[in-house]
Amino acid sequence: MHGNSLRRGSIAGLPAGSGGALPALVLVGLFFVVPVVALLLRSVTDPEPGLQNYAALFGSGTYVRVFLNTFLVAAVVTAVTIVVAFPVAWMLAIMPPAFGSIVFGIIILSMWTNLLTRTYAWMVLLQRTGVINRTLMGMGITQEPLPLINNLTGVTIGMVYIMLPFMILPLVGTLRAIDPMTLRAAALCGATPFQAFRRILLPLSLPGIAAGGLMVFVMSLGYFVTPALLGGTSNMMLAEMIAQTVQSLLNWGLGSAAAFVLLVVTMALYVLQLRLVGGKRPAGGL
Amino acid sequence: MKLILTGILAGLLAASAAHADEMAFTSWGGTTQEAQTKSWAAPFEASSGIKVLQDGPTDYGKLKAMVDAKNVTWDVVDVEMDFAIKAAKDGLLEPIDFTVVPKADLDPRFSNDHAVGSFYYSFVLAWNKGSVSGEPASWADMFDTKKYPGKRTFYKWSAPGVIEIALLADGVPADKLYPLDLDRAFKKLDTIKSDIVWWGGGAESQQLIASGEAAFGQLWNGRVFALQQDGTDVGVSWNQNLTAADVLVVPKGAKNKDSAMKFLAAATSPTGQAKFAEASGYAPINVKAKAEMPAEVVKGLPDAHVDGQINLDMNYWAEHRDEIATRWYAWQTK
Repeated sequence: MHGNSLRRGSIAGLPAGSGGALPALVLVGLFFVVPVVALLLRSVTDPEPGLQNYAALFGSGTYVRVFLNTFLVAAVVTAVTIVVAFPVAWMLAIMPPAFGSIVFGIIILSMWTNLLTRTYAWMVLLQRTGVINRTLMGMGITQEPLPLINNLTGVTIGMVYIMLPFMILPLVGTLRAIDPMTLRAAALCGATPFQAFRRILLPLSLPGIAAGGLMVFVMSLGYFVTPALLGGTSNMMLAEMIAQTVQSLLNWGLGSAAAFVLLVVTMALYVLQLRLVGGKRPAGGL
Repeated sequence: MKLILTGILAGLLAASAAHADEMAFTSWGGTTQEAQTKSWAAPFEASSGIKVLQDGPTDYGKLKAMVDAKNVTWDVVDVEMDFAIKAAKDGLLEPIDFTVVPKADLDPRFSNDHAVGSFYYSFVLAWNKGSVSGEPASWADMFDTKKYPGKRTFYKWSAPGVIEIALLADGVPADKLYPLDLDRAFKKLDTIKSDIVWWGGGAESQQLIASGEAAFGQLWNGRVFALQQDGTDVGVSWNQNLTAADVLVVPKGAKNKDSAMKFLAAATSPTGQAKFAEASGYAPINVKAKAEMPAEVVKGLPDAHVDGQINLDMNYWAEHRDEIATRWYAWQTK
């Protein structure tokens, strides 16, 4: 992609041309900040002023469970996405650009297909009578259908698939910025490939992992369609629960409170991540 | 920028202008709304000159938001009956003008001051004949994993149906169902919890049964009807079928209230109801509709299975909706 070219632009110094960011800022202000404030207000005024919605939220075993579950799913999805994305990103980083752009195109292509369609496709593949189970049983590898859907496995498979591009993109940028000579130097000094990976490549790519990981984690927290269709009710995620609370039970105060708590926790994690990575900006990438 | 603002303004103005010769009908989409469009809206447009705009899917949150904001763009909405009873209590609905909508022939089970029946349906026990040996005959069989192994599918959301099914399976007599014994129902559901696959919408329920992903389940009779029409090999038991209804309501402050009432009159007329029932497999709520329907179709309606039929108590549900939902999701997510 662009290597390091984007790294040097700094918002804090407001360099020339940053006025072009105005439309985006207005958009975010109007359609994000204002609704979020309205959401907060509703959570402390509906049906009457007070903190009763938050009391109900934290007093309800259901919501607490769904909260924990949401973070568990997001964490598992993020971890698996990192592991799956890393080799692909590495390959893209060291490939000749002509091949790289083909592989890259394939990865991006999946993002062009409608999310619901892709999720339904996974249902067909993963279900007990689906392609995967029939193949495995037909080959005699398994005797009974594996439980691949309506559980954490199904959600993880479906969501990792959707999240992969968001992890690969920042990682490729970081990996490309690493001087290949460092790895050669490690080899010359007698490091095994694993040692070179663990002591050189992995630490150097951490900013990219952190950036991609955070993006995947935050996006996963709010996911709706995929967990609803591929998960079971015991891994219900917060977005689905909020939708029920608002649409069916018409309890907007409680729904707003839940959404607001999720937002606050997400922001807190973001700040924490910035601290942990020590303000190092991820190199290149998007 | 100026151009965009002008565009937005023009859009807002156009949206807020109420047209005397137009109204919006909102339902759940899919085959049901198609049948409603064909059986009600099209003939109504022809006879009244009022254009019926289709919108959807029904969203109770949106309905409330419109009424709260006093900007109601839906004139007639197809909703579940327990919601309609609660919404009327909360002041979200216009009373039905029975000087325009003839009441005499409407099934009193499915109409009240703020709602007229849209159609009624039954929850029935359906199964994939390829995945089940034998013929399950009662809800108790759905809880007997030894006799009938395999996944079973139930309606995912807190709504009339599953609680009653669990109680019936546990031996509660039909006339002693209400008030619902939630403890007993959840205890019974616990016994098969790991064998349940939930369906969140009609299409999903059909997919689960047709593919054999779930061997059997609790389905809307119209969805089973559609599967059979498609030639899928499904069995159905009407024993202890549970009736519930969709109703048509007019949100408070609807801009085209007069047109809406006229539309309700057409939709609930014997002809409108007969045509819809024929297209959907759901039952008419106008008692005179059956006279206009082919005998073949009448045979497949919930009306033909009143033996052992149980009416889900919508008034009870309307009153205990929130309380049951709290328990329901607490149990489900555990």
